[in-house]
Amino acid sequence: MKPAIEVHQISRRFGDLLAVDQVSFSVKPGEVVGLLGPNGAGKTTALRVLAGLLTPSAGHAKINDISVEDRPTEARMHLGFLTSSTGLYERMTGREQLEIFGELHEMQGAALKRRIDEVIDELELGSFIDRRCGALSSGQKQRVSIGRAVVHDPLAYVLDEPTSTLDPVAAQDILELVRRAQARGKAVLFSTHRLDEAETLCDRIVVIRKGRVVAEGTPMQVKAEHPSLTAAFLKLVSLERVA
Amino acid sequence: MSPFRILLHKELLDVVRDRRTLLMNLGLPVVLYPLLFLSMGIMVVAGTERLKNTELVVGTVGPEAVELIKLRPTPPKTTYKAYSLEEATAELALQTLAAVVTAPEGARDAIAEGKQAVVTVMYAKRFDKSREALDRLRPVLESVNVQMLQKRLEEKSLDPSFILPMKTDPVDVDLKDGLGRLMAASLLPMLLLTTLLTGAVQAAVDTTAGEKERGTFETLLVAPVRPTQVMLAKYATVTIVAIATALANLAATGLTFGFGVMIAGKAVIPVQFSAGQIALMVLCMVPTATLVSGLALALASTAQTQRQGQSLMVPVLLMGMAPAMVAQMPGIELNWVTALIPVLNVALLVKATILDTVSVLEVGLTLVSVLTCSVLAFQAAALTFNSETFRFGGTLSSGRLSGWWRRR
Repeated sequence: MKPAIEVHQISRRFGDLLAVDQVSFSVKPGEVVGLLGPNGAGKTTALRVLAGLLTPSAGHAKINDISVEDRPTEARMHLGFLTSSTGLYERMTGREQLEIFGELHEMQGAALKRRIDEVIDELELGSFIDRRCGALSSGQKQRVSIGRAVVHDPLAYVLDEPTSTLDPVAAQDILELVRRAQARGKAVLFSTHRLDEAETLCDRIVVIRKGRVVAEGTPMQVKAEHPSLTAAFLKLVSLERVA
Repeated sequence: MSPFRILLHKELLDVVRDRRTLLMNLGLPVVLYPLLFLSMGIMVVAGTERLKNTELVVGTVGPEAVELIKLRPTPPKTTYKAYSLEEATAELALQTLAAVVTAPEGARDAIAEGKQAVVTVMYAKRFDKSREALDRLRPVLESVNVQMLQKRLEEKSLDPSFILPMKTDPVDVDLKDGLGRLMAASLLPMLLLTTLLTGAVQAAVDTTAGEKERGTFETLLVAPVRPTQVMLAKYATVTIVAIATALANLAATGLTFGFGVMIAGKAVIPVQFSAGQIALMVLCMVPTATLVSGLALALASTAQTQRQGQSLMVPVLLMGMAPAMVAQMPGIELNWVTALIPVLNVALLVKATILDTVSVLEVGLTLVSVLTCSVLAFQAAALTFNSETFRFGGTLSSGRLSGWWRRR
């Protein structure tokens, strides 16, 4: 099966700083891959390169086998990208934002309306979808934000720290959504600081440190002889590659 | 629907929902300008009336000063009081005296002998009461002068026209609203450019730096749209907001001048603009809005927060307001040279339009000049907007700018 998300040897330099250094990983449909790393490790830069927001200094990225660099708008048609901030227009309602982003993904008319209704049901947005986003709680905003990212039913999900600002109950709901997406054959790349989430949710884990991949494998493989994933992570981000 | 139309709809919806900005840009001028002019007029009239009804004491120095001014009736609410020169000067400084009239010893004899006597009125210009006292004394002294002159001419059996071989009689053949029009010509260019600039600047900062700060900018760019399409929609939005702001202000000002302006607390002078004049003013606002929007967007795109964006907008505001101020100066007119200087030409064109002194050549040159600069401003906006450095990097600095330029 071809990977839905493929990052091959990408590097990105900002002046003298090499933020991402020859990073490679892939995510197949129906797979959840966790992208872990301390702050400033290069996770967000790698995700931005993957989304075509930044041009790689070297290497290439593909979404659904479409080169992000050569055909960025076409590649993004298959990508549902949730940024680390909720990124919602506070003066608009959730429904308006779903409509706008659906239209930007070339959906319209009855098909768009049907898909918006599906997203509302799936994410349980019904009670607040017609309220302006500025008046919503953090959890409600994150749900709308995910709805906006997946309104076009993409094959590849890229979720940048989707639970970082949420309480445990709201975070659990988001993790359930990821599991349901996985069950529907979506490829999910999941960046997080919460190692317990990564351990229970991800099929594989990629650990980045100072722009380089220092470990990759199943949670069990990465954990190896360490008593917990946290212990393994702490060692990995302070040492060189071990797996 | 094309991505541009979807994005434009999104931008406009976001702007229209920003009620505070809408109120400040569009609602406030419509209410504020008529109220401002009306209240200013009322205050000027009230102030003038109050001054006219104020009791004033005028000091007289020397018996001959009293004799001379008492040849005519004392003005209402005025009292003459005799003082020595030293006392009068001190009282004038304290403003217990509004003015002092002095006449030298022998003044009456000199006048009787057909010579000239110099009567001095001492007053302090910075005090309202002192200026009012001078206004009351001037007709009294002129009247005394005329009375004495008539007596002299009668003694010599001469006709009054003898001392005035030529009388000047200025007749103003200008439009009845000439004074109001002059006032509008000095106020409107500044007002229109200022509001156009503030409208563009606010919208540009909100749609670029504001979006980055709120985290929606990245969300927008991960949609399947090109950055240029996003920029075009923002550019159109900023231009529309700038034009709408300027038009709201033009309408409010036009309405105010249409109803009439209190000038010097007396005259109510309505100014009517023809449809052609309004059309020309609107016509020159459109390319100016595109120029200003391009510049504002180019700079605002380099900022990461609204606060940074607002700081960067200061030079844009100054660059726009300085030419508008220059255009207000007397002697600065629209000609083929000034018509080529961007922004100044627009201010002068608005001025010339109001004064009915505009020519087709000057309109053409102004439009060509502004449109050329608009294209350059648009390109600058596109360059900064498409730059990854400014899209996700820090704010504008000389080092960052030179680094960005080298990498291009």
